[in-house]
Amino acid sequence: MSFSDQEILETLRMVELETLDVRTTTLGINLLDCADPDLESACEKVYTKILHHGKDLVRTAESIASDYGVPIVNKRIAVTPISLIAGPSGADSLVPLAKAMDAAAEEVGVDFIGGFTAYVHKGFTRADEALFRSIPEALAATKRVCSSVSLGTTKAGINMDAVVQFTDIVLDTAERTKADGGLGCAKLVCFMNPVEDNPFVAGAHIGIGEPETVINVGVSGPGVVRSAIERLGPDADLLAVYEVIKRTAFKITRVGELVGREAARRLGTTFGIVDVSLAPTPAQGDSISDILELIGVDRTGAPGTTVALAMLTDAVKKGGAMASSSVGGLSGAFIPVSEDMGMIAAVRDEALSLAKLEAMSAVCSVGLDMIAVPGDTPAATITGIIADELAIGMVNTKTTAVRMIPVPGKGPGETVEWGGLLGTAIVQDPGRFSCSLLHARGGRVPAPLQSYKN
Amino acid sequence: MPRRFITAEDIRRAEGRELVVDPETVVTPQALDAARAAGVTLRDTSGAAWTEPAPDRGPDAARAQHHLPLMPEPSAEHAAGTGVMVVVVGRNRTGVLAEITAAIAKGGGNVRDISQRSVEDYFHLVLTVELEHAGQFDPLKDTLQCMGGEQDFVARVMHERVFRYMHRV
Repeated sequence: MSFSDQEILETLRMVELETLDVRTTTLGINLLDCADPDLESACEKVYTKILHHGKDLVRTAESIASDYGVPIVNKRIAVTPISLIAGPSGADSLVPLAKAMDAAAEEVGVDFIGGFTAYVHKGFTRADEALFRSIPEALAATKRVCSSVSLGTTKAGINMDAVVQFTDIVLDTAERTKADGGLGCAKLVCFMNPVEDNPFVAGAHIGIGEPETVINVGVSGPGVVRSAIERLGPDADLLAVYEVIKRTAFKITRVGELVGREAARRLGTTFGIVDVSLAPTPAQGDSISDILELIGVDRTGAPGTTVALAMLTDAVKKGGAMASSSVGGLSGAFIPVSEDMGMIAAVRDEALSLAKLEAMSAVCSVGLDMIAVPGDTPAATITGIIADELAIGMVNTKTTAVRMIPVPGKGPGETVEWGGLLGTAIVQDPGRFSCSLLHARGGRVPAPLQSYKN
Repeated sequence: MPRRFITAEDIRRAEGRELVVDPETVVTPQALDAARAAGVTLRDTSGAAWTEPAPDRGPDAARAQHHLPLMPEPSAEHAAGTGVMVVVVGRNRTGVLAEITAAIAKGGGNVRDISQRSVEDYFHLVLTVELEHAGQFDPLKDTLQCMGGEQDFVARVMHERVFRYMHRV
């Protein structure tokens, strides 16, 4: 088959100049068979099973990257929610399980492992309670373990008691990791309508409907989309911009589909999904904010940002849906503030507020992601921010999430450096009014009318 | 269904000096240590010393391995062999094309298509190469990428499949 020079150069340009990459190849491993009445034996089984299945992951991903010339940036592991396997042990602290996950992740050579997880959207089991209690210590004592909790679903409503408890966990985790600017909270996320095949951390885990092992792939490519819109120029109308984004998303997703199929084949496992989320990195040009500004807003956060993001997310989904029959996970656009140079600049220039981010999260794939707030933010305020975000997801039948870092000792406008993929954040002002009575009431927000579909 | 794991606790409970392990059972590293310390020998069902089995990826995995090759691929004219794209950019000089194609021939590659452009002192070369089998890919890639140099030329070698996925349906 011959390709035109233009086609060949387009692919090379995407890889070489526009940072096209496969963001993550995540191996999902079911751990349900690791449950044991003895916690030590459960840890032993968890460690062994992750090692047994994960040992070839990094080598396989690297050989695929070398063959196809497309970098695979992260190799990760997602496991069954740990609260589901902790029950038989009756243990009060599940920190040993987190340490077993961490040790296995280190041995296998992955940078993060997701699944220190509990589903409590309607209530707690004893094991869920133990997991909640263990989160702050687990995140402080491990490097690679990521924790996520489900606090609500459209079908179940919002478990406000769990939201209030989660707020305490966030504050405790920030305090325990204050030497690193509250970094522990970057590995902690809460969800409304969590997806069970999400390959991206911190929310990666493998739900109970998933197979024994599965390969899920997260593609990326904000740089490619940005360049394509740039080449289109300012004279094109929105339909043309949409078309360019859709075509580009198609091509990016095809690479994800190829890598997913190939990784599943080489590892002898099942190919799960391609998550077509556009995921930024702190690298220059790898920014969602740049795309929004090229679509036509002066600065991200200005009026027009929500419609630009809605259009971007939809075009990415449509391009992706045509490119792969296995689109899943979160699939849309990520807007993690600290990980996107353009977003950070927009916050610094006071163009992008928390309120605007909340509105944006109603039309993108996740929610309030990597938001820094002052370390002394009242618990009620954090509860309110989380519950507002969950409400958006609940009513719109979509996934929303909150990954918020109260930075100890920092006030609004101050900068915090986390480094690496997590980037830099400007501490944002949550406002001086709170919701202490709502926080104190607790209880449950019932499922909305739109969930009654049976 | 065979048991899934043998842990250190199982070794402690085991009576006797020998433990027979089912083919799909995984022995934890801690259990191996405990067995060594207690002088317990682990054997597989055929009586040989236990070795770690290949991972059992689950009931869906076998089905997936059967069905994956049946998934439609983007159209290819040459289904046999392995298609490789070689893209070379560098300073033009006498013999550079001959060097590159000689290296490809030595690596077992057959050049199917070639396209070259020159701008002033520089050239840009795209070769579509057919390899007889996939095992030739890595050595060819290593050879071509080690040739040239920053002042001379740089070669990039990629599987043709990535181009097919991106540009053909």
